[in-house]
Amino acid sequence: MRRETQNVLLVLLGGALLKIAWTGSYLRYVKPSLLPFLVAAGMVILALGMVAIGRDLRAGRASDIGHGEHAGRSPWLLLLPVLAIFLVSPPALGADAVARSAGAVPVPERSIDFPPLPAGPAPALRMSDFVTRAVWNSTSLHGRDVRLLGFVVHDTDGGSYLARLVIACCAADATPLKVRLTGRDGLAGLPQDGWFEVRGQVVPGSAGPDSRFVPALTVSELRPAPAPAAPYEF
Amino acid sequence: MPTPTSPVTGHARTPGRASPPVPAPWRRLTSLEVLCAVLVLALLAQRPLSRILDVPAIRTGATVFVAVCVQAMPFLVLGVLVSGLIAAFVPPSALRRVLPRRTSAAVPVAGVAGMLLPGCECASVPVSRRLMQQGVPPAVALTFLLAAPAVNPVVLVSTVVAFPGEPRMVAARFLGSLGTAVVMGWLWTRFGRVEWIAKRALRQPPRYPDRGALAVFTETARHDLVASGGFLVLGGLTAAALNVLVPASWMASLAGQVLLGILVLALLAVVLALCSEADAFVAASLSMLPLPPRLVFLVVGPAVDVKLVALQAGAFGRGFAARFAPLTFVVAIGCAVLAGVLVLGGVR
Repeated sequence: MRRETQNVLLVLLGGALLKIAWTGSYLRYVKPSLLPFLVAAGMVILALGMVAIGRDLRAGRASDIGHGEHAGRSPWLLLLPVLAIFLVSPPALGADAVARSAGAVPVPERSIDFPPLPAGPAPALRMSDFVTRAVWNSTSLHGRDVRLLGFVVHDTDGGSYLARLVIACCAADATPLKVRLTGRDGLAGLPQDGWFEVRGQVVPGSAGPDSRFVPALTVSELRPAPAPAAPYEF
Repeated sequence: MPTPTSPVTGHARTPGRASPPVPAPWRRLTSLEVLCAVLVLALLAQRPLSRILDVPAIRTGATVFVAVCVQAMPFLVLGVLVSGLIAAFVPPSALRRVLPRRTSAAVPVAGVAGMLLPGCECASVPVSRRLMQQGVPPAVALTFLLAAPAVNPVVLVSTVVAFPGEPRMVAARFLGSLGTAVVMGWLWTRFGRVEWIAKRALRQPPRYPDRGALAVFTETARHDLVASGGFLVLGGLTAAALNVLVPASWMASLAGQVLLGILVLALLAVVLALCSEADAFVAASLSMLPLPPRLVFLVVGPAVDVKLVALQAGAFGRGFAARFAPLTFVVAIGCAVLAGVLVLGGVR
């Protein structure tokens, strides 16, 4: 591959990283804390490409730098993430990813002393907080209404779940958190991958080895919600 | 104008067009023109392309692919910047003065020096290749390559955070990874052959005596980025495909089986190609398994994974990667099990 083409590819790649950082769609792929590094990487890649283009222009077409060293065909692969980001812009992981990792349900290793829930009639909880408390059968949940935000997943066993994916670093390490929705008709008709805010109460003791540590929630209220800008929990 | 020798002939998207059977009267297509054609075609085909890709499994794979690339790119950039700095500002004589003369003594020094590069495996490949080009013995550079992504402070802190109740896990990971790097370095000192490494990896970088250090720095960083970026993408593609194809439900059936668990988690570390700063959290989430298999996962992952093997094949040649990666895999399992026995108190 020619040096000029490599430089154009670098400019495109740097631009792609800056684009997802600017539009916020980077949150579909990585954690928010990566943003400064992502911007820095995008600017460095862009600058390396631009500086080389500028140097070649100044030196005239007969620039001697880098001639005779061809990196082979592998740089063409750099085009793939560029095309994926600019043209396809893959969505955040959803029900398909949850179904794929069905066997690996995380059992959080935390202490069993949970602080009481926030005051108020129905506090909004992070899915990870709710599932952790439910798995340890924390009495802090018993008899309390909570609100959860997540997307709907219909399992092959006929169950309907509210799910959220947790990432540690990037979407490649996403692990699902699920809550089984019960106590209401028409749950099976909810749209797969649709985002909902659900109000309800935990079924005490429902998150055991038999349910693969998936707690159940008796739903009292259910309404569609916009998908959050940061689709994953951390 | 020099004759373009770019390998457009092998470019899959324009079969036949780029290599006319008889020398055409007009000049051959340059890679820049091919790139423009691909971009225009992709823009025109965006709609049908998006429809084809609108299958759940492919969507998941595409997201994982972009995620691996986006996550790794900052670390690769850090690596090529460090590599450029070494090329521009650290003369080979300075490196020789810092390292012990005897290779076998320099290997552990390189292992501990790995603590200085706070990045994941993508950063360490260009740096260790640059070290080799600056005259550092291959065994020493390879030890650095294996140690840097596994024993740096960022990775150790993330392991502490991921295993709050198990401080021994951090110590075991540190020992296992450092052991892997040092043993591999010593093995290379004893048995390694320079001809296994592709010649281009050892060639001295072109010197630009008429140019300033800044130009050397940017040119080296640019060259390394182009040379290794493609292989990172290749690794990302492989990881995404395996992520979608390998059913995670295998995990659940392993509970209680330590030896099988060790083997499966070692393989899982290779195919998942997680960033070494994230793998501790994944290992923590596999809580149906006892600690030793999860330790193996943490030691093998930063040393051998599909993304890293692709990067190594790009930097040091395929012949090198074919020998180095399988041996590292075995050594890493051995060191992890040993560290588990010593620190965690036996394989239970």
